[in-house]
Amino acid sequence: MQLTPTDEQTMLGDAVARLLADGDVEPGAGPISAAAWRNVAELGIPALLLPEHAGGLGGGADDLMIVAETFGRALAITPLGEGIAGAADLIARHGDAATIDRFVAPVLAGDAVLALATGASQADGDSVSGHYPFVRWMPRAAAVVLLQPDAAYVVEADGRGLVSVPARLADGTPAASITLSDCAATRIALPAGEMARTLAAVDLAHAAEMTGAMALLYAQTADYIATRRQFGSAIATFQAIQHRSARMYVALEQSRSAVLRAAATGRDEAGFVRAATAAKAYVAVAAQRLAEDAVQLHGGIGVTDALPVGRGLRRILVLGRLFGSAAAARATLAA
Amino acid sequence: MDLRLTDAQSRFRDEVRAFLDTALTPAMRRGAAYTSGVFAEPEVYRPWQAALAAKGWLTYFWPAAAGGPGWGAVQRWIFETECARAGAPVLPGMGLKLVGPVLYTYGTAEQQARFLPALRSGDHVWAQGFSEPGSGSDLASLRTRAVRDGDDYVVTGQKIWTTQAQFANWLFALVRTDAAVKPQAGISFLLIDMASPGVTVRPILSASGDHELNEVFLDDVRVPVGNRIGAEGEGWAIAKFLLENERGGTGYAPQLLADLDRLVEAAAPLDPVLADRAVRLRLEAEALEMTELRTVIEIEQGNPPAPRSLAVKLIASEVRQGIEALAVDAFGLAGLQLPEHRPFHAEDAPGLVGPPEAGLAAARYLNARAWSIFGGTSEIQLTLIARAAPATIAGW
Repeated sequence: MQLTPTDEQTMLGDAVARLLADGDVEPGAGPISAAAWRNVAELGIPALLLPEHAGGLGGGADDLMIVAETFGRALAITPLGEGIAGAADLIARHGDAATIDRFVAPVLAGDAVLALATGASQADGDSVSGHYPFVRWMPRAAAVVLLQPDAAYVVEADGRGLVSVPARLADGTPAASITLSDCAATRIALPAGEMARTLAAVDLAHAAEMTGAMALLYAQTADYIATRRQFGSAIATFQAIQHRSARMYVALEQSRSAVLRAAATGRDEAGFVRAATAAKAYVAVAAQRLAEDAVQLHGGIGVTDALPVGRGLRRILVLGRLFGSAAAARATLAA
Repeated sequence: MDLRLTDAQSRFRDEVRAFLDTALTPAMRRGAAYTSGVFAEPEVYRPWQAALAAKGWLTYFWPAAAGGPGWGAVQRWIFETECARAGAPVLPGMGLKLVGPVLYTYGTAEQQARFLPALRSGDHVWAQGFSEPGSGSDLASLRTRAVRDGDDYVVTGQKIWTTQAQFANWLFALVRTDAAVKPQAGISFLLIDMASPGVTVRPILSASGDHELNEVFLDDVRVPVGNRIGAEGEGWAIAKFLLENERGGTGYAPQLLADLDRLVEAAAPLDPVLADRAVRLRLEAEALEMTELRTVIEIEQGNPPAPRSLAVKLIASEVRQGIEALAVDAFGLAGLQLPEHRPFHAEDAPGLVGPPEAGLAAARYLNARAWSIFGGTSEIQLTLIARAAPATIAGW
């Protein structure tokens, strides 16, 4: 049993944090720019997380957790979870060499983004039809991966028969509702359980991003209550404030423990899907509660768009609901 | 990062399981299953304690130098998990978990030689004399006084909420040896033979009808000065050390997870609302398990435990109370049985309808309310956490 990161992993986290701090990534202000995303790729983040035979380094779920938490701390709005841990990883694992070359290589270079969608579609040979509402990153994606229990279909974004209606989610994530009518697709057969494992990896990434956002909001709140004065004292000296901030600290540590449980289980081990689903179910609730507490302890300024606190709440609101709510995850766990 | 056990750890787990298969008798399992209080009662736990002592595993969380088996943090966690899953009786912590570490940390060689073997053998059964009628959370205000008279202290005062004092023959107590200095500095830690003249134990019945708690009256009780642990006035520091062991040290999660699983199995099928509550409790307990493991591994690696260790007892209290509240809701009126006859595990006890999870639900629910009060209330814990919590949490 090994629950602490290696020195390399600690350095990795530091390097990602520096990159995001030095780049033009304003916390939670909007989706990452194409240039900043290319810098992320140049640092080797997609490569680190993708399998070796696809040109990556074959990093594990623990590496994904460390990177994602660091992204979360910066409120970086990126396709890390869906695009890399989900879509690109799936193609890299199960696509043939030509498909990998066509869709994964540009992701490694930071030149392309992939979108990921689940839901029913009608497949007829190599063409698919269906409607997918609010597919994240679709407006910027080169292709979308439609994930089904037995196969994935990769559809190019500029392909014939794809109608896209753009939208924007609460945290600024670009999205589009797409309707496919007999779109040409590359079909990738999936082994049993692989859809669940892929979505579990995405859940893990999103849960870790949420713990990062929680850490940011906790630190901002601790700083704020230590400096904000009312009734002649810093409000951190009041017990009602102390107990609420203590609850935030406890929620953050428990959430990091829940994510660690999934990350340390390992993606291809028995128990990973359950642990990642549990992490998402736990953290989505704890993170939203913490963000609401952060807003509360900031008072009036907390409800404005001026601080990372409100943006963090928006980010958590979205991350906690991608590919199903916490309640839906709990229902899965209860079954 | 890797949750898998090493081969050596897997072999150790198998060894523990094999031991439990034979050493934990059906009578012991039944006694544990019919325990409604925080700890098993002596007639339930004594044979189990003896079996552990014979195996050398009774003091499993003590360092090797103090007579422990020298296990690492992960081994201790494996052992606790296997014991909880097997349904072993929960041993009272007052001796093994609380005064034991005080003795091997602060006691003289002579005190250790006198008290540690008797603690291990079960000859000494300990009770904890901290709280007083006027001193609960504000423990430093305690008023039981110990006045020096030759080679003795003469102790007078009253202790309260003393768990299982009716079974104990020794009491470790905080007493005031100096009223002139600031409250914390005037406290000393005494070991009191409960057979001494002037010691009176009176029961306090809980709302459950169980007799777990007592008042202990001390009237001019003569206690040899040699029974003082540490220096005069060092009692507060020792008490803080002891409370840290009470709140952390070993894991709560293994027992919580095992009890939750037994409840869910006994109550199956749960309706969706209750099933959701069970999942929420399980998520909290699983996160707690990792929080505990992170903490014990940190300590083992020689690092001071992060302030998150303070959260362990707070969370454990909430999960424990959540489990017992779920039990009351899961069995309908069968979960509200509360016969007056005690103990539940006695041969002549009236039969309970349904499994023990149902029959004892009401008593356990009522007794579990004490979890957020003993060992420092949840409000005190939150204040301690707020004081200790860092302003920023470093990344992995």
